[in-house]
Amino acid sequence: MSLDASAPPKSVSKGTARRRTLTSRIGDISEGRFWAYLLLLPSFLLVAAVVIYPVISGIWMSFNQFNIMRINRGMKFVGLDQYTSLFSDPTFWIIVRNTAVWVVAGSITQFTLGLITALALNRKSLRWSPVARVLILLPWVIPSVVAGHMWALLLDSRLGVINDILVRMGILDTYRAWFADPQTAMAAVLLVDLWRAFPFFTLLLFAGLQSIPEELYEAAEVDGANPWHKFRAITIPMLMPVIVAAVILRMIGLVNSPDLMIVLTNGGPGYATYVLALHAFSTAYESFNFGAAAAISVIMLVILLVFTTLYLKFSGVNRD
Amino acid sequence: MAANQALPRQRSHKRTQQMYDALASLIILASVVFAVFPIVWTALTSLKREEDVVTNDLQYIPQHPTLENYVTLINRSGYAIMFRNSAIVTLLTVILCLLVGTFAAYSISRYRFKGRGNILTFYLVIRMFPVVLMLLPLYIMLRSLGLIDNLLGLALTYTTFLLPVSLLMLKGFFDAVPADLEDAARIDGSTRLGALFRVVMPLARSGVAATAVLLAVSAWNEFLFALMLTNSEGSRTWPVGLQLMVGEFQLPWGLMAAAGMISIIPIIIFFAIAQKALVRGLMVGAVKG
Repeated sequence: MSLDASAPPKSVSKGTARRRTLTSRIGDISEGRFWAYLLLLPSFLLVAAVVIYPVISGIWMSFNQFNIMRINRGMKFVGLDQYTSLFSDPTFWIIVRNTAVWVVAGSITQFTLGLITALALNRKSLRWSPVARVLILLPWVIPSVVAGHMWALLLDSRLGVINDILVRMGILDTYRAWFADPQTAMAAVLLVDLWRAFPFFTLLLFAGLQSIPEELYEAAEVDGANPWHKFRAITIPMLMPVIVAAVILRMIGLVNSPDLMIVLTNGGPGYATYVLALHAFSTAYESFNFGAAAAISVIMLVILLVFTTLYLKFSGVNRD
Repeated sequence: MAANQALPRQRSHKRTQQMYDALASLIILASVVFAVFPIVWTALTSLKREEDVVTNDLQYIPQHPTLENYVTLINRSGYAIMFRNSAIVTLLTVILCLLVGTFAAYSISRYRFKGRGNILTFYLVIRMFPVVLMLLPLYIMLRSLGLIDNLLGLALTYTTFLLPVSLLMLKGFFDAVPADLEDAARIDGSTRLGALFRVVMPLARSGVAATAVLLAVSAWNEFLFALMLTNSEGSRTWPVGLQLMVGEFQLPWGLMAAAGMISIIPIIIFFAIAQKALVRGLMVGAVKG
């Protein structure tokens, strides 16, 4: 580590005069006044290089015309042109609407299934729930690329087992192309994300449920409360901080990740599953138009900052 | 009289409880099937011959189970290299984040100094910056440093979203180690740094392990940065490789399923071994950041 180099020499000479090894010297520095800050220094430097500088320079980029394929032409300042041309593009507003559907429907479905599962797992009389817990968590650690291809196979229009099951059960007449039909494409991608992310809610809400004191329920039972009363008067209020934190965190995740769309639909058919994150990514990756991509990202940044502020306000993480 | 009334009420109470248990079991069963079925189906598909996948009557159980897909995949050049690349990037990321994160987390956990709360909030906020916004300048920066298409460059960018997570998790675990133990070590002549490595780290080791596992899984699975920042086989990680193989070469389903299974087997094994630590890690990681 660079601790030795960045240390003020004064604190090294503070010790006794005998010959010292390198480790004991660093040990000495650790007794000094600036140790707390020295410990933070490497992380600050790293974050400044890989987060702060990129974000600031990304925001600056959004006020410029800049194509990475013509890098020798450099950046050309164009003010708000990137933004005005975005806002005047009708497809941009379709994309914004899709993003809203994606984020809202995604977080609601994932939260609902996560909560139901967590409540079921929380029943103490059931023996097998630890095993079930591990199995339910599995989708959360499966990478998005694999998840995408797994579901592409499951929902395939010719070979998909889900089509087969639905036809056998008489729910469908014929196989359907879930990802190619504009009517169902968004719902299909949402289903894949539901699979991947409901365990996140189950995990957090289950932990929250476990921390509610049993006495509260016992007291309510003495007062003759029925399960619905108990759920509304105890479970929901006690769980609220976890619910708010989990939902907002998940919304941030949904705004931010175009992975599933890249793997499954590439935004199609038409613009049916095109979201802001994918728009930003393909503007950069396929059109190499970094200026426009930066402008889209800055719009996402504004949206995310709203969520982040809400998160910090409601979760109380920085109260400490 | 009172006893007479209490009896049927108790019995009906018991029956309601049984009904709720049954309902809960049903829900758990449905969730488990939903969670596991896609993985099981992929595993089954990976064991089928291609002509048994592309057939009009669907086989639920492979009629001619074979490991042919796995053999083809392993012989097919690229995959071993991509695995090696992913392993190197994952290792570099874990080392980098743990090393830098440990010092910072210890500082925030143990010292009370001005701006401490703000630093914590700051690390939370930077985790929420849009990925693409950071990707664009990082791309230019890494390019001018010659770190595009480079495993170290990739590991460095992973710290953008993993350093805050590791810092917040480690802080939580360090908080749980009583400061008294450290004070005792220091009275015995240990320096603060000595106490960190000889007292705090050993006591927080399950937490450190949980953090490492979570970091490793995240780095191993990462797709977007790797897609943008690598462009040759020498540094391509497996999620990108898999995506390109499927997209460009129209990979047969059986091979795709085998590739998916090979890629997630390390994670599932990890998960099975370090289940408790990982769940704890995921929980802290998710709540705190």
